[in-house]
Amino acid sequence: MSRATESVLVREGRSGYEAVTASAVGLSGLAFAVGLVALLDIVAIDAPVAGVGLSAALGATLLVLGLAVVGFGAASRLDYVGTAPQPSAGVVAAGAFTIVWFTAAVLVAGAVGITGVVGLVVALAVGGVAFAVTAFPREDVGSTLPAGAMAVLGGLALATGLVGPGWEWELVAYNATLFGDTAVPVVAMTASLLTGWAAAKSYGGFGARGRNVGAYVLIYLVVLSILAVLVGLLAFVTIRGLPGLFNGFAVGGEGLVRWPFLTNGAGLLADTAGVFPALVGTIWLVVGAVVFAVPTGVGAAVFLSEYAEQGRFTQVVEVATNGLWSTPSIVFGLFGAAFLIPRFGNQKSLIAGMLTLGFMLLPLVLITSREAILAVPDEYRDASAALGVSKWETVRSVVLPAAIPGITTGVILGVGRIAGETAPILLTTGGGVLPTKTAAASVLGGFQLSASPPFVTNPELLQATSALPYQLYALITAGLSGNIEDPQQFAWGLALTLLLVVLAFYAVGIATRYYFRRKLHQ
Amino acid sequence: MSQTDATDAADGMGEQTVSTTAGETVEETRPEWTDYDAAGEAKLAVEDLDVHYGDDHALKGVSMDIPEESVTALIGPSGCGKSTFLRCLNRMNDRIRSARIDGTVELDDEDIYRDNVDLVELRKRVGMVFQSPNPFPKSIRDNISYGPRKHGELNTGLVARLLGRDDSEAEEELVATALQKAALWDEVKDRLDDNALGLSGGQQQRLCIARCLAVDPEVILMDEPASALDPIATSKIEDLIEELAKEYTVVVVTHSMQQAARISDQTAVFLTGGELVEYDDTEKIFENPESQRVEDYISGKFG
Repeated sequence: MSRATESVLVREGRSGYEAVTASAVGLSGLAFAVGLVALLDIVAIDAPVAGVGLSAALGATLLVLGLAVVGFGAASRLDYVGTAPQPSAGVVAAGAFTIVWFTAAVLVAGAVGITGVVGLVVALAVGGVAFAVTAFPREDVGSTLPAGAMAVLGGLALATGLVGPGWEWELVAYNATLFGDTAVPVVAMTASLLTGWAAAKSYGGFGARGRNVGAYVLIYLVVLSILAVLVGLLAFVTIRGLPGLFNGFAVGGEGLVRWPFLTNGAGLLADTAGVFPALVGTIWLVVGAVVFAVPTGVGAAVFLSEYAEQGRFTQVVEVATNGLWSTPSIVFGLFGAAFLIPRFGNQKSLIAGMLTLGFMLLPLVLITSREAILAVPDEYRDASAALGVSKWETVRSVVLPAAIPGITTGVILGVGRIAGETAPILLTTGGGVLPTKTAAASVLGGFQLSASPPFVTNPELLQATSALPYQLYALITAGLSGNIEDPQQFAWGLALTLLLVVLAFYAVGIATRYYFRRKLHQ
Repeated sequence: MSQTDATDAADGMGEQTVSTTAGETVEETRPEWTDYDAAGEAKLAVEDLDVHYGDDHALKGVSMDIPEESVTALIGPSGCGKSTFLRCLNRMNDRIRSARIDGTVELDDEDIYRDNVDLVELRKRVGMVFQSPNPFPKSIRDNISYGPRKHGELNTGLVARLLGRDDSEAEEELVATALQKAALWDEVKDRLDDNALGLSGGQQQRLCIARCLAVDPEVILMDEPASALDPIATSKIEDLIEELAKEYTVVVVTHSMQQAARISDQTAVFLTGGELVEYDDTEKIFENPESQRVEDYISGKFG
């Protein structure tokens, strides 16, 4: 190939090819998205699409995509269109296709009953062929043929109903059964990922530009699936939780809003069982932990980054903090149970839980605050020192304000973790599983003044109370249900409430961070 | 080495063998053209200043008097110690742990390196402006009033208001005066509450100068104040420096010899190795330097 053709800056006469390849990319993306939605059970695989089941429609789409992708490669190889392929698709692509084809061969061999050494040999042979087909021909064939062929095979299996609704395969060795409604989306997603990548490479005309476009599409589809998992999880909990959360919800009547799930206890006398005591307990636990951990953590971070000599001591502290952050929560819980409880009235109590969760939160606050403080430019410190301002004033008025967004991020992350912790609460706080409304901790009203030391007491802090994750755990594992009509619905409502509480704390944190960022930079 | 020795000898640079406290003997050069009595009262008198960063001897036996209400320029190639010298004048080098400083620096006949020197007071009297503009991420007003407020000279805010000692008016006046002196007032008077980071580079640098003026210093040290700025902003800063010299003692480090020639009354030339080679009236340095090395440096043959 001469340099003249390789170094063409604008390739003429490719608009038709580009249009077709671009629509193949789009169709692959669509098939991928549909597969994802089907995998998350949002649509059934036998839902009717244009007269046939979704499974068969996906199969037909894959078939078309596979043939099209092979066609793109052939068109480029036969020089019908101007492309700039490299001599080989490369070892990485070849390795990836080997794994994909090997896995597919293993599964197919297993499904049709070829097992043992024969199955393995067949699978290895298939993988080897895939490697050769990818690595040895020119790039345009090497990257389209294995992808297209995979899509054609998968498409045939789905379109003919070989794999479809009602299909199942008992995996004896794993003591499990694979059903059609999992297999069909997985096949569709794998095949459409491959065709999407291959079509994107064709769109870019192979070579460096093609690889760039291919990687772009691949990354986008993967990101899409990660987002889908997140959204799917939220949707899953929300859909199941809403009936429980809004059980007996009404606007008007006595009081403005009647929301028994959030305002009632779960006692025998409540007309509709609710989670009020647990909700209050969780909120107080988180507030108490933050009140304990943020000042101490930030203070320690200020000392470590501004005052302590950077050296062995700070390194040891750093390692210790990181270790503490990854310590299992049950260990913190045991510490709380064995150390704190004897010091606070010898019974499970709200304050023991607050402190235990505070200890858990402390390392993360320390780590992130330290990073945030170290990230404040030294120029600010120099400028302040040159104005004759003392070190502490500098830290207080310049360094800490500039570090607040980073510190807030740490607190947000930590709160997300501790709000859902069950083990420490189980050991330090957990009171009744189905507390009545009167069992809710009223911390603010609980303060009492007395004339003798310690002058201020709060019996509410010294009492065991319930918390959302603890109640959820107790409901599910112990199967206690009291007078709750529908324990399952109640449990899902509880899970959704917990999720919303955590999100509410997030929202507060993010709003704080946004406020301080704006203040710093505008 | 021999080549340099020859040049030094030709320059009239007397060489002495001096024994140090550690007992080892080192060769030390004693520049002869640094004994210069500038017109006017000496504001800062530096005597035998040596600076070590760990094992690195960054500044070697520098002595010079800096006269008040004038502009003194420090020039020299990169790494010659001129910034180090500048940072010794308000003890900013104390902030570097490995730095060791010997010798004396007298501010109005008081040694600033004595024990028990109040660094807060010292830095209030000897202010500093840095190479790259470094305003705080606060409003323009807060940047200016930061110093006085931290020194307890301004009380604003809720507590002050409750106690009836609110100095908001004094603050407004102080901010306006400082910004006017720094020739920035007209550009920012309508947006004092905006964040200082939204200003242009040149404006930020003038804001830093205003912030320094707000604590009412006697000496202003400037470390290449215009090197990060475009020509127009640079010329504004230069005009400002000349204006400031009527009231303040200005010491400015610069890479640009043209700049030194334009704005300074006297110039000190530092050359590689951390020595002060020549210190004299700016005109003399640029037109007829005594030292061959300085002449080479100024004419671009060296450095």
